[in-house]
Amino acid sequence: MLTHVLWIDSEEWKMFLREMSFQEKSAWIMILALIISGFFYFSGVVHLSMSLGSLVPPLLPSLIKYTVTLVIISAVSHIVMAAMNPKEANQKLDERERGIFDRAGHWSGFILGFGVVMALGGYLFSYNGDIMFYTILATLMLAQIAEYVLRIVFYRKMM
Amino acid sequence: MAKLLPIINGVKNLREERGMTQGELGEAVGVTRQTIAAIEQRRYSPSLETAFRIAREFNVGFEQVFSWDEESE
Repeated sequence: MLTHVLWIDSEEWKMFLREMSFQEKSAWIMILALIISGFFYFSGVVHLSMSLGSLVPPLLPSLIKYTVTLVIISAVSHIVMAAMNPKEANQKLDERERGIFDRAGHWSGFILGFGVVMALGGYLFSYNGDIMFYTILATLMLAQIAEYVLRIVFYRKMM
Repeated sequence: MAKLLPIINGVKNLREERGMTQGELGEAVGVTRQTIAAIEQRRYSPSLETAFRIAREFNVGFEQVFSWDEESE
C-alpha cells in the first residue's frame, strides 16, 4: 500500500528506472549521499556550536565520520546497482556522456570558485579561519551536488 | 520539450527495419542505448565518427541516414 502511494511499484516508476543509464542512476545516488552526509555533518556542527555558545572549530572526528558515511552510502549503493546490471556498470563513458560530464564539471567549477573567493574575501573581514573552513567545505559539497544535478539535467534535456 | 537539433536522421526507421534494438545498435557503434535514443529523438547530434559507424552498420550511405533540416534556420 505504502509502496503504491509512494509510486515505487508502479509501471511508470519501473519504466523511469529502465530509461536511466548507469551514470544517471549513479548521479541520483551521489546527490542523496552528499545531502544525507552533509546534513549530518552540519547538523552536528550546529548542535555542538549551540551547546558551546560559539562556533565550534572544525573537528577531525566529525570530518572522518562525514567521509566514511559518504563512502559507505556511495559504495554500497553502487555495488548493488552494478550487481543488478553488470553490463551497463562496466560500460565506458561514450561521447555524449563525456560531453555531459564536461559541461556539468565546467559549471560546478564556477560554483566552487565563487565559494572559495567568497570565503577568502570573508576571511579578510572576519579573520575567522573556522568560518572560512566551513564556507569552503559547504561550497565543495554544493559544487558536487550541483555537478550531479546538472548531469541529470543534461541527460534528460539538453543532450 | 527540448529544442530539436537541426540534423534529421532515419536511425529509428533503419534500425527497426533491421529488427535491432537500441541497445544492440549502441553496442555495435560504441555508444550507450540512451545515446541511440537521444539521437533518434534529435536531442543529440552524434560525432562524425559515430554517424559514419551508424551508416556503416546499416550498410547504407551517410546521407541516407543523416541530413540537414532546412526548416530549422
